[in-house]
Amino acid sequence: MNKQVALKADDAKKTADGKEFNIRDYLRLDLFPHFMCPGCGHGIALRALLWAIHEQGIDKDKLAVVCGIGCSGRVGGYIDANTFHTTHGRPLAYATGLKMARPDLHVVVITGDGDCLAIGGNHLIHAARRNLDITCLMLNNEIYGMTGGQGSPTTPRDRFTTTTPAGNREPVFDACKLAEAAGAGYVGREVTIHLPRLRDLIAGGLAHKGFSFIEVMSDCTEVNGRKNDLGSSPEMVLGQTRTMRPPDYEYDSNVVDHPFRPSGLHTGVFVQSDRPEYGAAYRDMSEKLQQGRTKP
Amino acid sequence: MKTREMRFSGAGGQGLQLCAKIFSKAMTGAGYHVSMSQSYEPTSRGGLSRADIVASGETPDYPLATELDTLLILDQAAATASEGIIRDDAMVIVDPRRTKNPPEGNFKVIELPLSETAIRVGSERVTNVVATGVIAELSEDIEVKTIENVLRAISPKKFLDMNMDALQAGVALARGVKAA
Amino acid sequence: MNSMTGQANTVNLQGNKACALGAVAAGCRFFAGYPITPSSEIAENLAKELPAVGGVFLQMEDEIASMAATLGASMGGIKAMTATSGPGFSLKQENLGYGMGAEIPCVVVNVMRGGPSTGLPTRPAQGDIMQTRWGTHGDHPVIVLAPGSVEEIYQQTARAFALSEKLRTPVIVLFDESLGHLVETVALPDVADYEKTVRKWATGKPEDYKPYHGDADGVPPMARPGDGFRVHTSGLTVAENGFPTQKPHEVDALMKRLLGKVALNNDLIESFEAVECKDAEVVIVALGVVGRAARKAVKELREAGIKAGLFRPVTLWPFPTESFRKQTAKARHIIVAEMNAGQLIHEIAEVKTGKQKVTGLNRYDGVPISPVDIKKTVKEVLGHE
Repeated sequence: MNKQVALKADDAKKTADGKEFNIRDYLRLDLFPHFMCPGCGHGIALRALLWAIHEQGIDKDKLAVVCGIGCSGRVGGYIDANTFHTTHGRPLAYATGLKMARPDLHVVVITGDGDCLAIGGNHLIHAARRNLDITCLMLNNEIYGMTGGQGSPTTPRDRFTTTTPAGNREPVFDACKLAEAAGAGYVGREVTIHLPRLRDLIAGGLAHKGFSFIEVMSDCTEVNGRKNDLGSSPEMVLGQTRTMRPPDYEYDSNVVDHPFRPSGLHTGVFVQSDRPEYGAAYRDMSEKLQQGRTKP
Repeated sequence: MKTREMRFSGAGGQGLQLCAKIFSKAMTGAGYHVSMSQSYEPTSRGGLSRADIVASGETPDYPLATELDTLLILDQAAATASEGIIRDDAMVIVDPRRTKNPPEGNFKVIELPLSETAIRVGSERVTNVVATGVIAELSEDIEVKTIENVLRAISPKKFLDMNMDALQAGVALARGVKAA
Repeated sequence: MNSMTGQANTVNLQGNKACALGAVAAGCRFFAGYPITPSSEIAENLAKELPAVGGVFLQMEDEIASMAATLGASMGGIKAMTATSGPGFSLKQENLGYGMGAEIPCVVVNVMRGGPSTGLPTRPAQGDIMQTRWGTHGDHPVIVLAPGSVEEIYQQTARAFALSEKLRTPVIVLFDESLGHLVETVALPDVADYEKTVRKWATGKPEDYKPYHGDADGVPPMARPGDGFRVHTSGLTVAENGFPTQKPHEVDALMKRLLGKVALNNDLIESFEAVECKDAEVVIVALGVVGRAARKAVKELREAGIKAGLFRPVTLWPFPTESFRKQTAKARHIIVAEMNAGQLIHEIAEVKTGKQKVTGLNRYDGVPISPVDIKKTVKEVLGHE
């Protein structure tokens, strides 16, 4: 009960141009009911994104949302904006072309752990390296949900999936460390249960000039949770808060359940740098060439 | 305007593409339409290299060489590469110092000390320019003056004098052939 | 007078460079690519040309990303292109299909080299004739232009943009290593009309706009991001409103329009060269550089009193069927000369209406089919009668 009160207070404080955030202003309501399973965290991530868009005062006509394939790929279609449902793993590559062609658009990519880290991993690395002004939300539900629950690059150790029937033994990616190492200008992670924190994290990414990578720890109750006895959706997201805590929290470093990922993950903003944004750097070069000031 | 088919061949690094470029510029200046092709191989130095020109009054029907009237061979690597596409009345210009076994046929093989002349002028690297002078002088429809102008325009400053000397040395070699 | 050649309005130009310049002349302002032999010079030239005219050049992380970024730029509303060769063309297929399904204009250049696999990177081949037709999965509309000279590469690349914009579909420009690397004296044709051709943009009230409702020409106007339409673009099969559907009648209607818009505009798309076909006993069908070999062979055969003709499709797909039938009506023999093990010959055998005997002339050794090869086959075919 207390949490709800706190949320409402937060709501009232965060408004743009005095206009309160109303999620209905940003949705294609004629497409409802939506496709998401009961208990899925993707809806909360969508709410957080739209709220952040509202706060940042981004015009829907100038908003382009590019998605790939999978559960995350279907989320963009509900947004009342210019939405592109592209191919599996490639939304960052499409978005790169779109943003370079149309720097006036705010380009947001919604992708998933399979879309972004497996089939599209190369594009993540290079989007981060280029540091083009794109906000990338990776909805991490640790599973391929749309195709029926196969293991993904973020499926934790020993987790049962349809392709890890004896429990997963593959190492997992720490997506944020990957994005940071590749050069992303803004990197952060948050869980869905902390909606205002997630909203603020995304708002920071939208405001950042450069490539923003935001890992949203979603939950897949229907396919992932049920198969592994992780409980109901509230139980799953509360479980996340025990293993995903703010940066100042010290996990017991002796408890490492995986070579690439400790037993606990941190949340919050990890990187906020002023590395040059590629689009601006390119246009600067192009303008000089057009004026004939420099020779190629 | 009669159709010309010329090939400049040898080993990679001998400046054969440059020969073709000089002739194609000079020939288009003289009203020819040229089609210029060259070997694209992973080993550009040492292995076979060739550059071809097919030229005629209008865009050649077939742009690749099939009936060579002029063939330059600067290295043994290129000795057999043109078998079957040399016309009987072709002139085949060979540098015997680096080509021990030139091709045989009804065509005329002209052996000239191209690389030796180049060394005498200043560097073996201008063998291609000596050969350019030879072929220009021996070609009735190409003015040496036009070739000279193109060469002057594309030569880096520090090689200009040596290139001009090499060209004239080639022309002199060709005059010797004509006189013989 | 041109300083490079000394001739009026002519220039000595490499095929790949002509492709790049033709694109820029047609209004291309975006290129995304990945280095690959023998098409890299297209990217290299555009890396120089595009930023100087306010356009975007991007070297992407791979071939797939290049295709995706090209489509992304076109979705933003500008004319976009990518270029590659066999292995890269294979990698682009899925996203190329996205462009065809979601109706996003763009130009894809494939400079063919020997295959399969890595094959002969520096040697010419025509092994991708069928891949350009059927490369991506599912039924799809296809337009492929196959120029035969450096001048035609310039012109057809520019034309590819116009067709692509007008019909809202990717257009493939197909030639091979020998033409890509060939330098020829060309008079650059005027492509101002191609440059002026841009896709139909959606106008009017956003609430009345149906993103996938075709006009009379089968082509729906496209909504430009930022113009207030806020539409959804998807690779899923969509209804006229742009949102996914699985209703059989809606799927059927979309597919009929998608495949039909190419057939409906065939007059615009079709192009070919016919040489001495009228009274020809033997017609050689060949494209690209082989078409040039056949042209020379036909001239020489005619001089020798043999009634030979040439049919060279410039628009390869859709194949100019009716024109081909007209041109070969009187022939007794058709020779399909192609640098592969026999691909176009299947189309010819299917579309010919008369009793012509169809013979294949094939090379796949990395050496172009020469006029000599063609003359020999013509004489063999006639000698066997």
